[in-house]
Amino acid sequence: MDNFLLWTALAMALLPLMGTLIAGLSGRLLSRTLTHRIVVSLVGISFFLACYLFKVFVLDNHAPLDASFYTWATAGVLRFDIAFLIDRLSATMSMIVLFVSFMVHIYTIGYMADDPGYRRFFSYVSLFTFAMLMLVLADNFLLMFFGWEGVGLVSYLLIGFWFKREAANLGSLKAFLANRIGDIGFILAMAAALAYFGTLKYHDVFMQVPGLADKTMHLLPSYNVSVITLISLLLFIGAMGKSAQVPLHVWLPESMEGPTPISALIHAATMVTAGIYMVARMSPMFEFSPTTLSFILVIGGTSAFFMGLLAVVQYDIKRVIAYSTLSQLGYMAVALGASAYDAAIFHLITHAFFKALLFLAAGSVIIAMHHEQDMRKMGGLASYLPVTYLTFVIGSLALCAIPPFAGFYSKDMIIDAVYLSTTPGAAYAYYCVLGGAFVTSLYTFRALFMTFHTNERWDPAVRDHIKESPWVVLFPLVALAIPSVFAGQVLIGPILFAHPSMLGNTTFVLPDHNVLFKLASHFHGAKRMALEAGKTLTFWIAMSGIVTAWLFTAKYPKWSEWFKQRFSVLYAILVRKYGFDDFNQIVLTEGTRDAGHLCYEVSDVKVIDGVFVNGSGRLTRWFAQTARRLQTGYLYHYALAMVLGIVALLVWYAGGF
Amino acid sequence: MTAVHIVFYIFALIATVSATAVVTVRNPVRSVLSLVVTFFSMAGIWMLLRAEFLSLILLLVYVGAVMTLFLFIVMMLDISGETSKGGFVRYLPFGLIIVLVMTGVLMAAGPAYFSGMQLPLPADKPADYNNLKALGSILYTQYAVAFEMAGVILLAAIVAAIVLAHRGPKHRKVQVISKQLDAQPEKRVRLVKMKPEPKSPKTDGGK
Amino acid sequence: MPSLNEFLMLASLLFGLGVAGVILNRKNIIVLLMSLELILLAVNTNFVVFSYFLDNYAGQIFVFFVLTVAAAEAAIGLAILVVLYRQRHTIEVQDLDALKG
Repeated sequence: MDNFLLWTALAMALLPLMGTLIAGLSGRLLSRTLTHRIVVSLVGISFFLACYLFKVFVLDNHAPLDASFYTWATAGVLRFDIAFLIDRLSATMSMIVLFVSFMVHIYTIGYMADDPGYRRFFSYVSLFTFAMLMLVLADNFLLMFFGWEGVGLVSYLLIGFWFKREAANLGSLKAFLANRIGDIGFILAMAAALAYFGTLKYHDVFMQVPGLADKTMHLLPSYNVSVITLISLLLFIGAMGKSAQVPLHVWLPESMEGPTPISALIHAATMVTAGIYMVARMSPMFEFSPTTLSFILVIGGTSAFFMGLLAVVQYDIKRVIAYSTLSQLGYMAVALGASAYDAAIFHLITHAFFKALLFLAAGSVIIAMHHEQDMRKMGGLASYLPVTYLTFVIGSLALCAIPPFAGFYSKDMIIDAVYLSTTPGAAYAYYCVLGGAFVTSLYTFRALFMTFHTNERWDPAVRDHIKESPWVVLFPLVALAIPSVFAGQVLIGPILFAHPSMLGNTTFVLPDHNVLFKLASHFHGAKRMALEAGKTLTFWIAMSGIVTAWLFTAKYPKWSEWFKQRFSVLYAILVRKYGFDDFNQIVLTEGTRDAGHLCYEVSDVKVIDGVFVNGSGRLTRWFAQTARRLQTGYLYHYALAMVLGIVALLVWYAGGF
Repeated sequence: MTAVHIVFYIFALIATVSATAVVTVRNPVRSVLSLVVTFFSMAGIWMLLRAEFLSLILLLVYVGAVMTLFLFIVMMLDISGETSKGGFVRYLPFGLIIVLVMTGVLMAAGPAYFSGMQLPLPADKPADYNNLKALGSILYTQYAVAFEMAGVILLAAIVAAIVLAHRGPKHRKVQVISKQLDAQPEKRVRLVKMKPEPKSPKTDGGK
Repeated sequence: MPSLNEFLMLASLLFGLGVAGVILNRKNIIVLLMSLELILLAVNTNFVVFSYFLDNYAGQIFVFFVLTVAAAEAAIGLAILVVLYRQRHTIEVQDLDALKG
């Protein structure tokens, strides 16, 4: 039975890879229809297998499986095994990944129908699915890193999918480079783990963590740092790159240059959540480092609030949703920092549903508007695109945490968990997430009103083009809307408060950090929670956000103009995205280039060429010229030299007496 | 201060003065002759040191042969004696310092070393002491090989000197009698028949 | 009989004069060769002196050979000088700088 399950997991991971190879290598041999049928069916079968594994490991409570298929390499202490760890967390995660991926595959049939790179797109999306699954199912750091890098690579390929566009190329490079900077942290963490634990397997590492909790290492001559803190901090830096936390968030808005399906898949539901998943997976280690947890709280809180603010001033519909993703990732990070790992994964799941839904709905709008993305040129689309409008509304309500939609449960749990957390920095994070709730409703409904209500600001000539998208586009929207409505109520009990919880003991919490345990006493069921929402502060904050958005966008648009002029400095800061991009451009990019220039001018040309290479030549020549003067050709000079030698010898010899 | 002392000092003085003259006088012939005087005085000193054979050999070989050779060369080469002496004076201080340093070290270190040894004067030799015989009995027995090699060296020197200085035969005309007697009249004279050239009509009778 | 030191001082004086002749002389190769002879004379004197004081004939034998070699060397040196004069028509040491670097 165990063997069968392992092979099922392997098949689940490899079927998308097969889809990649078929779509990628067959080229014109297979027609477009045949290609998409093959690839989508393979992903569909994978999804089915993921559901089966979910049933076995979560619903039937099968014990976790940890086995190696193949040892790729051994080099001293380092072992690289292709080994899977299938437990509740990885089964849940793979099911979510494959569900969203399946929906996106179906959506692509409609969205990319008239694109010349049709087959290439399917190949890449399947490759992404494969890499993400490897990341999720890995049982050691190195295999996870393989998946980590794989998703980064495919993100690069897909953002730059329309490679003839300059902006797409630049955006893909930016994404890859920002990811890479995070990866430095991950690699260093792996090296440190190997050095101190002697192994890269999760299980072996986690066994040793409590024993090494007090071990420190010399980082600088007078500065000792706890090993666990160092490793977990470095791992989180990797997560910062992948999950776009401040300050490595700069790539996510530019990644909207890629087609909408991948924005939904990669930059909403799966790749960006890889960092969150990784921290949850490593919770046995992170729990022993309060410093890292505080750091995560601060960074997460900052991302949650400040990135949300940026969404309020965007005009591109996809950028609004991108910044929203950044903000929600901040929420997940805050949950991680508060040691509420299960709540973070819960929010990850619900967010995957409603954010993918929002992106795909936005994509549907974009198709209808003939690839126009600026909201200032939309308006009044509700009557033209009813299904899209309805699903967009469902997604928005879920995002703003309005009961009884999915986001309400997960987001409120996070806010409550942070409120109860005693880790330093929790207070700051609490205020950030509270402010974030207001801002979330503000930008979401601003986008909704600007797009679907208000006046029709588009060119009347395109009226004939504005019609509802084909069923292949609408089906995923509906399929994602359903969990956005129900997933919260259904999952909150099992995932957070049941014994054993849905994620079981894959996440580990120290007793004095366990806020979820404290929250359990307040929890009386999902239905009651929804009904009692009116008693919570967050509900009213969210509602006030919606009302504000309605006032400023739909009812009195002039107010927003006045606001812009009155607070022009604030507006300018927000438009320039707090100067992160400017900083990167001026200090890092041009700074590096100037540093390189300096290195070339000074150290290369002047020092190495001038002093060492040419200089040694000149020195030799000078020496030769000078020494040449000894060769006068005159006998008496040579005789003098001999006599001087004799005198020297004499003096030396006589001096001995 | 015995008579030997006085003799020694006289010879030493002559030697020093003439050695200085060798180096400083301009006329090369006088230079060579000063060297001869030096050799004579040194031969005298060697005689004092009971090296009779060597002092006489010094005179015979060195003065008689080598110095004569020097004189021959000096007189053979056409040396325009009065060349600039400027260089000598300019470098004199420097060279003098070097020489003084060296000589000073020798003279200072020598006594310092040897005074510690207290070399006594050797005993007087018996009346029938023959320096020549004593040298000969060692030279032809112990140092025989070296003696032969000295001869070879001299041979090499002879050959070298001759080869270096020898000019080829001067190309000059000489009578080869056999060729003169072989001369044949037929080979010396040749009769050639020629057509007479016509007289030009404009020539005058000769008035 | 003068002491050893006096003889040695005389020899070193002659040696110094010979060296001075070698390095200070600029106008005549013959004087250079003669200075060489002076140096050799000084050395020979040294040998003879020690042979006398140490009562050992090895010194005098050595002088014998030095004399031989010195004579040979003087002969060859003068032969070279003659050839040089034929080529260059000068025997000034200043003019012989063909080996100048």
